[in-house]
Amino acid sequence: MAGEDAKTVTLTTSDNQSLKVDREVAERSILIKNLLEDLGTDGAEEIPIPNVNEAVMKKVLEWCEHHRKDPPASQDDDSDSRKKSTDIDEWDQKFMQVDQEMLFEIILAANYLDIKALLDVGCKTVANMIKGKSPDEIRKTFNIQNDFTPEEEDQIRRENEWAEDR
Amino acid sequence: MKRTREDAAYSEQHAKSRRVSASPTLFSLSEELLVRILSFVPVPTLLVCQLICKKLNRLAVDSELWKAAYYKRFVLPRAARIPGIKETPLQHLRYSSKLAKWLNDGHLLNNGRKFNWKHQYRLRHNWSKGSCAVSEIVVAQPPSDPPLLAVMSNNAIYTADSTHGIRAWDSKNGQDFIAARPLFKEGNDIPQIPTSITVDTSEENHVHERIAVGFDDGSFNVFTLAADNKVFELLFAHPPSTNGALTALAFSSPYLLSMTQDHLLSIYAFPDKDHLDQAPSQVPKLIYSLKSHTVWPPASLSIRTTPTTMIAAIAYALPTYLSGWTIGVQEMRFSRGGELLESRLATAADGQSFTLSGQRSMSSPSTRSSSPFAGGSREPSFVGTASNSKPTSMSYSHPYLLVAHPDNTLALYLVKSTSSLLSISAGSRLWGHTSSVSGTYVGVRGKAVSVSRLGDELRVWDLESGISSMTCRRRVGNEGLSVRVQPAKSDESTNNKSKSTPTKHSLRLALDEGFDDATISKGWVGFDEQNVIVLREKGEGSQVLVVHDFS
Repeated sequence: MAGEDAKTVTLTTSDNQSLKVDREVAERSILIKNLLEDLGTDGAEEIPIPNVNEAVMKKVLEWCEHHRKDPPASQDDDSDSRKKSTDIDEWDQKFMQVDQEMLFEIILAANYLDIKALLDVGCKTVANMIKGKSPDEIRKTFNIQNDFTPEEEDQIRRENEWAEDR
Repeated sequence: MKRTREDAAYSEQHAKSRRVSASPTLFSLSEELLVRILSFVPVPTLLVCQLICKKLNRLAVDSELWKAAYYKRFVLPRAARIPGIKETPLQHLRYSSKLAKWLNDGHLLNNGRKFNWKHQYRLRHNWSKGSCAVSEIVVAQPPSDPPLLAVMSNNAIYTADSTHGIRAWDSKNGQDFIAARPLFKEGNDIPQIPTSITVDTSEENHVHERIAVGFDDGSFNVFTLAADNKVFELLFAHPPSTNGALTALAFSSPYLLSMTQDHLLSIYAFPDKDHLDQAPSQVPKLIYSLKSHTVWPPASLSIRTTPTTMIAAIAYALPTYLSGWTIGVQEMRFSRGGELLESRLATAADGQSFTLSGQRSMSSPSTRSSSPFAGGSREPSFVGTASNSKPTSMSYSHPYLLVAHPDNTLALYLVKSTSSLLSISAGSRLWGHTSSVSGTYVGVRGKAVSVSRLGDELRVWDLESGISSMTCRRRVGNEGLSVRVQPAKSDESTNNKSKSTPTKHSLRLALDEGFDDATISKGWVGFDEQNVIVLREKGEGSQVLVVHDFS
């Protein structure tokens, strides 16, 4: 019984739901990994995750489950091999086919839980939604108000004229 | 109490923001996360993002984003070309702020956090596209005789001629005349005739720019320009000599290299470079002098220093028996104390050709010359016979030696200088100009500009890619290598025009007239990070400096 416990942990989400997962899966989150190490628990205690609700947590754990055998992420943000935006592997692309609300929830959760690879997949997904669109289309996509005066807009266009293909 | 303590504070602040917006939107993400998202979009998208709203406008110009973009576009491709680095997995070359990975652009990292990387990106972009704003400075009317001399350094243009003396303009802000000082012979008011000019190229001490001017009577002066009070101060005046006019100078304090019209080469060392500004009366020591019998104009002098040695080099044209003209380089290595350690030379001549002059080396009692044909064993290349017309201009900035020929082409040589060997690689032909090339200048970081005789064409070259195509031994079209410079659209210049006053000493902007009415008088051309300057003669007989501003 004790041996089995050492391999699983119980997470308590913001809406007070308990989720039992393999410790290896949960430790994709650097936050949880550090917490478990600091507490030195054998997994008997429940780990509170007060910022993430059950629905989002389940989604995140689904990702962690799929990527449980990935090599640990480098913590050096600077020298990290940041791949091109389009490079999202097929499974991740499917995984990210969610509504915008869930997409941002996943990004926030990945950031909070410190799961860098998932955070990058989320950010790349948003980047891909921005690429190749006009400012108007982007505003419509993300429901953003245009707070520029026509003059301000003109000025920015002028400043960036150099980049246009001649 | 289920919550751990360290968790509590963090989650409280988070929970607060989350409760406000029940369903998150793009702007529920922190600015840090938004910048992270923007780090995955290409540059054109960054510019589009600026137009969405004020918040994204602010985030899309984040310096770190542009620094990464700059690295990806301008540093990484260079790194990939360097043999050896290529073998290491490419992921090691991905963006990093580690200095070593920035190659020659490492100096940009010293600019600190405030550095405007978007501006830097735009500058490089404009160079690569050849787009710039064009303006003019009228420098002489009528043209002086002998022709006006000009040199450029650190956003300042220096000119010297017998009528106006030595003058300086600020090329950066486009309008400002900085200082002037007439050049007179000591003790009377007979104007001196300047025949060569150079600026101090040593890396240290750029507070005060130092300029050396050589004259037709064999004398030379060293000036400093104190930027704050805008005057030229005379630091040192070398008396006239019987050896004739000084045709070329190179200056890297404390060393100064001069060459007379009879090809007498002299190397001077100023006693204490740290106090050069304070002690104008200090007399430089002549540490070496030699006379050459093989040097033909044009020639290009250069000085470079290492921690223990100083290397003076002269690149020159050389007639050969069978294959017309070639080029040679002589290099002299001195200890910091001024002792000649080694002198050697190399030519780019094909192994089978013979130099016209009986003596192959520049004669000098203590000169130990290594094989003049250090590169002789290499396979004959197409260049050996191609570059046989007499060069019209050359510029040597180690390791690049760029030579202009009257047949519309340039030849690029790579000078190899190791402790055991000095050699010049086979030349590489650079095509692109449509009239004969009259002026070249090799500048910092493997960038060069050239101008054709009629002055209607200015080209910017990336020498590094020229070399790499050479080492591949592929004969490539030079299409990707150079860009023809195009003046900016006329509406932009008229905008600027209204605020500049056409006084004699201010910058006058070129009308959108093209270059048809002009000829280049001397083919002089120079550049720094932001500008290319071309000296040309206008139809009505005045000389102007044409400033091409890439910023």
